[in-house]
Amino acid sequence: MVAKFANWLDERVSWRQVWDAIFLRKVPKVNWFYTLGSATLFVAVNQAVTGILLTLYYVPTPDHAYDSVQYITTQVPAGWLIRGLHHWGVSAMVVLVVLHMLRVIFYGAYKYPREVTWFSGIILLLVVIGFGFTGYLLPWDQKAYWATTVGTRIAGTPPLIGDYLLRILRGGEDLSAVTLARFFGTHVWVLPATLMLLLGIHLYLVIRIGISAVPKKED
Amino acid sequence: MKEKDEISRRDFMKVATWSIGGLIGLGWGIPAIAYVASPAWKSEQAQVWIRLGATSKVELGVPTLFKVKVKRQTGWIVNEEELSVYVLTEDGRNYIAMSNVCTHLGCRVRWIAEQDRFFCPCHNGVFDQQGNVVSGPPPRPLNQYQVKVEDGQLFILGG
Ligand code: HEM
Ligand code: FES
Repeated sequence: MVAKFANWLDERVSWRQVWDAIFLRKVPKVNWFYTLGSATLFVAVNQAVTGILLTLYYVPTPDHAYDSVQYITTQVPAGWLIRGLHHWGVSAMVVLVVLHMLRVIFYGAYKYPREVTWFSGIILLLVVIGFGFTGYLLPWDQKAYWATTVGTRIAGTPPLIGDYLLRILRGGEDLSAVTLARFFGTHVWVLPATLMLLLGIHLYLVIRIGISAVPKKED
Repeated sequence: MKEKDEISRRDFMKVATWSIGGLIGLGWGIPAIAYVASPAWKSEQAQVWIRLGATSKVELGVPTLFKVKVKRQTGWIVNEEELSVYVLTEDGRNYIAMSNVCTHLGCRVRWIAEQDRFFCPCHNGVFDQQGNVVSGPPPRPLNQYQVKVEDGQLFILGG
């Protein structure tokens, strides 16, 4: 039954070709360090799923943000788990993405013909950091408020443009409802869209070019 | 022999991958369903006795409107809401308390004294003074609250 439907669908959309290209591609003999990218991807999927679930209850305004987060954690069934997964996922994501980058650096995998993969990776790293920075404000508790006060003030330190930067980040002179709204919008729309675009490029290139082999002594 | 071994190893990996993947999927899926669907079985309102007012305010044989403020908890927000209840008595001893929520699709009905009927503005539902359907789409009489009288004060059980 399932096989029949799979064939029926394959005849029309050739999904097997896509499947094979992704999962049956040839790879050199590699080691566990090569799974770090996939591990990052796994956590990214976790962040997407749990993040979408959080928006079902979270309200990004100063009068509701804190209470809605408390409600999720203490009242909603499995809310503590969903929030916990999202919360700890960020740290896992940052650690994994850095380890993945180190593996690419130490194996020289950024070289020709993988420069574009590398640069898409650099932007992905910035996106991951951006997620962390914008997400930190959303619970709207004391820690969030002051961390963002400090973080945006740091962005305000460069000469000439600093003051403008600070006001763009905060949406005004001070942290306010405007800040919370733009951090939320960035966290759930701007960054996910950027992430998907770059991840698409990144993974397309990984598959198109093929994975690099472990460099040998004589290389 | 070797040939056979390789095939079973491959199949083993296949089953293992799908099983572990499935378990992880369930690990996300079940909490996600509980998280999204819990309002279906979790009630936020506790049933309490709500004081409407003095029985002396109720006119004999005419549904009399009582409006009371109740605290309602929705999500993380506690709001004051106004509850409208029609109370009817024929003998001054037995009271019925009717909800003003139309049993069709939830609009609010109003007692129009000149016509001796409750009217629902949404789809022309009409109820008599006891709350029975006279005409229109409502499938059931108006809902009634449990009532008690203490020291000349009317109470209803609601949330
Ligand atoms: C959201 C973050 C990221 C995800 C999900 C991701 C995912 C992946 C995956 C699944 C691979 C396949 C090979 C492997 O796993 O090692 C890969 C390869 C690669 N990644 Fe990333 N990556 C991310 C961030 C980065 C960063 C920050 C860099 C470096 C700046 C980078 C540079 C590369 C390069 C150059 C390759 C090709 C390696 C080769 O062909 O051997 N990636 N990435
Ligand atoms: S809601 Fe009252 S008639 Fe439809």
